Amino acid sequence: MVIMTDTLAATKPADGGKPAGPHDSRGYKVFTVLNMVALVVICAVTLYPFITLLAQSFSSAGAIKAGLVNAVPVGFNVRTYEAVLQDGRFWTSYGNTVLYTVVGTTIAMVLTTTFAYVISKRHLRGRNALIGLAVFTMFFNGGIIPNYVLISSLGMKNTLWAVVLPPALSVFNLLVMKSFFENLPQELEEAAQIDGLGTFGTFIRIVLPLSKAILATMVLFYAVAYWNDWFTAFLYLDKSDLFPLSLFLRNLIAGASTTASESAAAAGTTSAAISPNIQAVSMILAIIPILFIYPFVQRYFVSGVMLGSVKG
Amino acid sequence: MKRDLRAGVLRRTGRPLTVAVAAAVLVALTACSSESGDKGDSALTDAAAMKNYAADTTFKASEPVKFSMLWTDWPENPVKPSWQIFNEIKTRTNVSLELTNIPFSDAKQKQSLLISSGDAPQIIPLVYTGDEQQYAAADSILPMSDYVKYMPNFQKYVQQWDLQQMINNLRQDDGKYYMVPGLQEVSVPTFTLVIRKDVFEQVAGGVPQTWDELRNALVKIKAKYPDSKPLADGFEGASMLNYAAHAFGTVAGWGFGNGTQFDEASGKFVYAATSPGYKAMVEYFHGLAADGLLDTESFTKKNDGSGTVTDKFAQGKVFAASGSNGTVNDFSTALDAAGQKGKYQVVEIAPPGGPAGQIVEPRNFWNGFMLTTKAKDDPHFLSMLQFLDWLYYSAESRDLLRWGVEGQTYTKSGDKYTLKPEYSLKSFNINPNGKTDIGTDLGYSNNVLSDSTESRALKVSYNPPAYVDYINSVLSTRKPRAPFPPAPLNAEELEQAALLATPLKDTVDTNTLKFILGERPMSQWDAYVNELKGKNLQGYLDLINGAYERFKKKNG
Repeated sequence: MVIMTDTLAATKPADGGKPAGPHDSRGYKVFTVLNMVALVVICAVTLYPFITLLAQSFSSAGAIKAGLVNAVPVGFNVRTYEAVLQDGRFWTSYGNTVLYTVVGTTIAMVLTTTFAYVISKRHLRGRNALIGLAVFTMFFNGGIIPNYVLISSLGMKNTLWAVVLPPALSVFNLLVMKSFFENLPQELEEAAQIDGLGTFGTFIRIVLPLSKAILATMVLFYAVAYWNDWFTAFLYLDKSDLFPLSLFLRNLIAGASTTASESAAAAGTTSAAISPNIQAVSMILAIIPILFIYPFVQRYFVSGVMLGSVKG
Repeated sequence: MKRDLRAGVLRRTGRPLTVAVAAAVLVALTACSSESGDKGDSALTDAAAMKNYAADTTFKASEPVKFSMLWTDWPENPVKPSWQIFNEIKTRTNVSLELTNIPFSDAKQKQSLLISSGDAPQIIPLVYTGDEQQYAAADSILPMSDYVKYMPNFQKYVQQWDLQQMINNLRQDDGKYYMVPGLQEVSVPTFTLVIRKDVFEQVAGGVPQTWDELRNALVKIKAKYPDSKPLADGFEGASMLNYAAHAFGTVAGWGFGNGTQFDEASGKFVYAATSPGYKAMVEYFHGLAADGLLDTESFTKKNDGSGTVTDKFAQGKVFAASGSNGTVNDFSTALDAAGQKGKYQVVEIAPPGGPAGQIVEPRNFWNGFMLTTKAKDDPHFLSMLQFLDWLYYSAESRDLLRWGVEGQTYTKSGDKYTLKPEYSLKSFNINPNGKTDIGTDLGYSNNVLSDSTESRALKVSYNPPAYVDYINSVLSTRKPRAPFPPAPLNAEELEQAALLATPLKDTVDTNTLKFILGERPMSQWDAYVNELKGKNLQGYLDLINGAYERFKKKNG
């Protein structure tokens, strides 16, 4: 949507005179209408799952199982919300997720900004080696078991660090940030140095304040990644009171929906006991924070990524 | 777009989970080998063990001991360390269990990861027959057959319930078996036909006992409800073909296994999907589909097994479908929601018989346990064996695991178990008004241990009357098929067999469906058989029969 408005704005005649040509033509009107229709359809397709989920979260389990719930709740009730909100495990895992996200994003931001700043300096000796080191891990890694043994031997299993450290540096984010830093005017930093700032001073007082857009974008990337990550926790955590929300949810949803498979069927008759409305409520509660953060950061998100790409 | 841009590393590691774990197991397979555990009895460490431990005595360690155990966390019944069950086990046996929690959703992957990395706890519960093969080949678990002599309760019930032959069939290529299963005095198929009994009785004159009777009944129902396609299977046909195949003297669907079945006449394994029985079964279902009696959509459409079939059942478009005990509940709930409350009767019926007789699947084990190799290094290894024998197989422990403490949570007279009024077991809808749930609050009737070994009386004690009727009808009117003799493959053969079996099975699956749906005429059956032969069917059968002969020669 935002991109659309930008493009439209850019095609406006710059002289501000009479509305000329393209806007009045029939072709343009047809285009606009088609455009709107397409956007509405895409919007509806994207929103529908959310709306169904929301409707399910307020419906009775029986109605959902019978396939009666689409966009409007059937058998309206808020008891499921009460039940989930009173569930200690839900809040424990919620708290864990918040903790992992905050600590993880902080560490990730420190690592990414400093590393990216260093490798954005073309005059640095060994810069290519450093970049190569980072990029290497994009294509090759030790594999699950060696990583598991590593984390286990470092004594990080069943600690915060096992969840927070392994995904702390995303090479993709690092490269985006590097190219952003490379495009900052060199003169600004030179001026800062002439005025007496050292490397860290320049970085913290000049470069970072100028990079708010990309910083916000990266915070968003990392925060969402940490918020949604279940795999790291799945690998390295064995205590259910350390599980993040994603793992709790996965167990709730994947666990219940594998009922159909033969092995789960063999595993017992009670595996369908998690009713679909509980799943819906848990999912709604899990996405709320991200939903609220997104609109505020999206502005930076668009300009941040555009800045990096257009100027590069 | 935004999602695609998101940090790469997390997702990259996440996606190929199963592949990676499988690969990891292979690595482990080659990495850790040698050390076969043949050190003889003298190496068996016996600290805190009982000298005079025997069947039907309570095991009690002479000092407090701790064993580590894997625990799969069911979402609706999460383990609590404070559960009374752990305390009660400790009081009776001096054993405390140190649990490693794994979420139910990805339990198999995590289990594989833990065992392959050598980080697994000593005791791995919830092991079904066949699960142990990959670990046995990698020597990461102990050959239980070497140790069952220390497990008197296990021995006792294997004899009493006539399971020795089935236990022998668990042996791997080296003649040893690596897991001990949960023993069931009686076993019935978990999945069978769930029908609207009221409709069958009114319209079709009762519950069908054979597939031919079922067909006649479906014709009558279709005549009365022309909009309906009365028979469905919410599992893409795999469930129905599974229990139908036994009646036709073959194996199919979920029960297809490695695709072979033992032919008593020739004393050899033959390929199931080319057998006359298989052809007859496919023809039968093709006939149903051609006459509009089969809901073909449910045979082709991927769904979660309940979804659309449940809808159709509630709308009166389907009157018989595959399902388990839980499916009866799902269908009932949906019928209630559709305003049919009190006007219907949904029951499980014994799988119909067929040309092969009133035959159902062979008797089954239920989940048991295996021990990781490091369990042997525990100074209390003998204690562990005795403890597990008591926990899994003794009558005392079975009652404890299911119902709790006699006199406190339940009373027992003869074969009748009664939960005290202040307690409930909501997962089976028993005393729903009781204050304390012996399942979620106290840890009894849990999914990890309680289902494993059961006498008939215990199984009957907690299941709803309709299910007990189902059990009784299967046991009194059906005969379980004799199990096929073992033909265990060695590690190389396993790989070779997998390469051969996969394209064969794909051809079978695709064509079975095509024949049933009428997309391929039955007249092309011979052409289909030739297609299978072209995929080296004979080579595959030679492999299996070779293993069978070898095993027979080596182990008698």
